[in-house]
Amino acid sequence: MNAPDDRSVELEAQARVLLAESVTRIDGRIRSRLNEARQAAVAESLRKRRRPAFLHGFLLVPTAGAVAAAVLVAMVLWPHQPQGGLPVSDGGQVMAQDLDLIADGEGLDMVEESDGAFYEWAAAQADVGNSETSS
Amino acid sequence: MPGLATFAPPYSMPSVPHGDSAVREASAQAHARALNDFLAGIELKAFRMARSALRHEDDALDAVQDAMLQLARAYGERPAQEWKPLFYRILENRIRDMQRRRTVRGRVMAWLPFRAADEDEEPDPIAQAPSDEPTPGRRLEIEEAMRALDGALEALPRRQQQAFMLRTLEGMDVAQTAVAMGCSEGSVKTHYFRALQSLRAQLGDFQT
Repeated sequence: MNAPDDRSVELEAQARVLLAESVTRIDGRIRSRLNEARQAAVAESLRKRRRPAFLHGFLLVPTAGAVAAAVLVAMVLWPHQPQGGLPVSDGGQVMAQDLDLIADGEGLDMVEESDGAFYEWAAAQADVGNSETSS
Repeated sequence: MPGLATFAPPYSMPSVPHGDSAVREASAQAHARALNDFLAGIELKAFRMARSALRHEDDALDAVQDAMLQLARAYGERPAQEWKPLFYRILENRIRDMQRRRTVRGRVMAWLPFRAADEDEEPDPIAQAPSDEPTPGRRLEIEEAMRALDGALEALPRRQQQAFMLRTLEGMDVAQTAVAMGCSEGSVKTHYFRALQSLRAQLGDFQT
């Protein structure tokens, strides 16, 4: 069904002649650059062929080394990562409040000036909190 | 081989190789010669096809250069009979990449308030010499016919253009063209037939 008629065959032949002619007219700059590109491709092929077989596997060593180093660093650092986010007190309150106390100058003053009464008060507060959460 | 005569080795090798290394070196040299011959035989036609598709000489050169390297790296170990369709398939992929990139660049440039000066490089006076010179009248006729054919080819859809160039310029058969285009032989025939019809419609009584 796609059989070309005589005019198509003629057109095809003329186009072939013209295209071949256009190839012969490609200028020296293009020919020179194509020659360079071909030599680069042949050199690449030659390099690949000359490479000893054991080097094909050996070339993977840097990659494997980088992966191994990354795994080692991850294993060393892993125990120092916080477990599950911020620490939580027994009463369910976030202990970030303690950090505020430490950072707060008034809190330090309170600790320094305290006598036993402060600790008794703090223990009483904790007992009140526990009884409220359990009820 | 003239191409290999001036070819500098990538690194120094022993002058007298022994045993397995001698065999390997001889094999590598034979393979390099075969690849060089193959590429030398198609590079001008490949450039011509790329230039028709990209309409830019330097882009066409880049596409052919990339296709050569890719063939050497990835498919150099394949049988030499497979190189031609593989090469043209790689080249077509490269051409499509460049066309896509150019489309994106065109969209971006359309939004800029100013555009760079004409990117075409200045003509190289040394490089403009044609290979042979017919008579001026005949040369004018040929140039006019070439311009008409180029215009008609550029107006073809890409697949039709590709099928026509591979069959007509490169002389590949339907099976090879199908491998190069990544489609069935039936599709190649259809693309080629439609290309011929379109060219006839555009060129009319085309005489060289």
